Amino acid sequence: MLRHLRMTAAAGLAAAMSMTASADEISFTDHEGRTVSLARPAERIASIPIPMASTLIAIDGGTERLVGMNPRAKSAILEGILGEIFPTAKDISSDITAPNFIPNVEELAATRPDLVIQWAGRGPDYVDPILNAGLTTMLISYGTEAKTREYMTWAAEAMGKPERIAALIDWREQVLQEIQSKTAEIPEEDKPSVLYLLRAQEVLRTSGEEGNYNAFYIKLAGGKVASASLPAGWADVNAEQIAAWNPDVILLNSFEDELRTDRIYNDPILGLTNAAQGKRIYKMPLGGYRWDPPNQESPLTWMWLAKLLHPEIFQYDLREEMKKAYKTIYGHDLNDEQIDTILRVETQGEAADYAQFKAE
Amino acid sequence: MSMTETAGEMPRPSLARIGRRIGMFGSLTVALVVSMVFALSAGRFEISPLRLLEIIHACVSNGFVVANEIDARIVLLVRLPRLLLAALCGGALAIGGTALQGVFRNPLVSPQVLGISQGAAFGGALMILIGYSGIVLLGAAFLMGLVALILVGFIARIDGRTEVLSVILSGMIVGALFAALVSILQFVADPNSSLPAIVYWLMGSFSTATWERLGMAVPGLALGLTLVWLLRYRLNVLALDDMEARSMGINPERERWYIFAAIALMTGTTVAVAGVVGWIGLVVPHAARILVGEDHRTLVPAAGLVGAAYLVFIDTLARTATSAEIPLGVLTALIGAPVFGLLLRRHFREANRA
Repeated sequence: MLRHLRMTAAAGLAAAMSMTASADEISFTDHEGRTVSLARPAERIASIPIPMASTLIAIDGGTERLVGMNPRAKSAILEGILGEIFPTAKDISSDITAPNFIPNVEELAATRPDLVIQWAGRGPDYVDPILNAGLTTMLISYGTEAKTREYMTWAAEAMGKPERIAALIDWREQVLQEIQSKTAEIPEEDKPSVLYLLRAQEVLRTSGEEGNYNAFYIKLAGGKVASASLPAGWADVNAEQIAAWNPDVILLNSFEDELRTDRIYNDPILGLTNAAQGKRIYKMPLGGYRWDPPNQESPLTWMWLAKLLHPEIFQYDLREEMKKAYKTIYGHDLNDEQIDTILRVETQGEAADYAQFKAE
Repeated sequence: MSMTETAGEMPRPSLARIGRRIGMFGSLTVALVVSMVFALSAGRFEISPLRLLEIIHACVSNGFVVANEIDARIVLLVRLPRLLLAALCGGALAIGGTALQGVFRNPLVSPQVLGISQGAAFGGALMILIGYSGIVLLGAAFLMGLVALILVGFIARIDGRTEVLSVILSGMIVGALFAALVSILQFVADPNSSLPAIVYWLMGSFSTATWERLGMAVPGLALGLTLVWLLRYRLNVLALDDMEARSMGINPERERWYIFAAIALMTGTTVAVAGVVGWIGLVVPHAARILVGEDHRTLVPAAGLVGAAYLVFIDTLARTATSAEIPLGVLTALIGAPVFGLLLRRHFREANRA
């Protein structure tokens, strides 16, 4: 009798446990169509793509769960404002991969991650070693706003913090709708043509429109993509080709640290484009992450660009918006000096319409 | 065969032969001029031929001051230095290849064989990684090209003598070493900033050509070209075997190192200003040999003209065919490899018949 009772109790307990397990179990389909399952929220996450590390810190509101990241992600965090907000980031391992995204599996396994995040679409060499080590892996790709929201949502779910991501996604949608409703009314001929340069120091590199996030926000902010005639993907172009496009605005990437707007103003050809003549060359800001690719701060990128392309239409106070956003995302109160650094107020020179971003 | 007969006492060329030679060099020069005019007028920014003439006329009559209009600047500050740099590098690479093939009596060698290109590539890539550009990058590329050559010299010199075979093998060793060093740089490079620049530069491109850069390239290339030009008679002798050459009172080893130094200078400088431009030094000497024969006194200038015209044409294609620039190395290999294959088949067919 006692034994029977014990068995029933054990069975009941097992059933109850499996019930809680299935209730807690996290499952989603990643960007390569694989099912990613976690028995419980991941306490330890290693991220191989560069921007993802800052996104994870943002969603978690701290650095505790990030156990490994790309060395370049670490340098970006330590040199930028994120390292100021979260000084503990410097203790996180960056030996799990070389900058080239090929995992160092033993280092990776040594961080004992519950979840590894890796790029999708780069082939089995980037993924199989991680899977062979028996580690749960989520593969992500970017290029569109939809994908960004997807991987941010999965990351939040994996950490058991879906409520954190809802606020961030709502914010993205709300800002997107607001900007879109205003740019929809701008006639085509009033939209400036905008060229984003991913590289400009040695080579001039840009992209066509398809699957390109920069093209997405240029159009969102009421601009035309100057390099739209290029096929999808990054390509090197020459100064002559840029002169033929003759963009009204040039956006310089935030990746090349040494790159300044002088590079364009002093160029014998690029210095004669509408953009240079109109002093409309801007270097992308560097916040919690670089503002060029999709990230947790993207709506700020959109607002910044919308205000630069159509200052008469968009009336946001960007500095206020940044303070609000940093409070929500990182729990941090931005001061004026930090905002100036992020927006590169000092180094943009006398760029047109940039005075609107200065502190009053 | 002409190579041996021209080596010793040179027979006086007949009038008909001189006439043929003038005709040949005349048409090669015309081909070079045509490719340069084509390069000047072709581009992504449309400039009509009439406007082109206007621009050139205005520039000349204003004492070579470039007007502030964008089309004038494109012609005079982008296309002109670029096509001149391409012509100069094409000529130098072709002449370097010709000289090297003569010295080694081997039609399959090129500056890559001595490891010079790889050495120069390492020097340049290292500077990109550290964050230097411009003259520092050029200097490092050239210096590392020379270091590669000196290393080859050290390894190849056994018991005070340097044999052709040991030079080729040493070149392969040094080339492999520097190729590995370049790979290490690519491995540690930041995919966000320095890596794309290194990769792009290793594929070769004249897109960064300016008058300033042309000015940086001229001394090295001119010195190298002059050296090969002065030694063009000796190349015929060096193409014989060492015993014969020594019997004619020439120290083949010393002469060979002069040629190597000239080639290092030209290859290092080219890599420094345009990255690794492959295939020119291998393919062009063959084309030139078909046109003018084996005598280096005519082969060297012919290869120079063909190389210059060829690279100007290829570079024009690279920058105009699509809105994105096609990497130069891709085009030179795509065109060079099949042409080389054809030449090789023809070479062996003739050798079999003989």
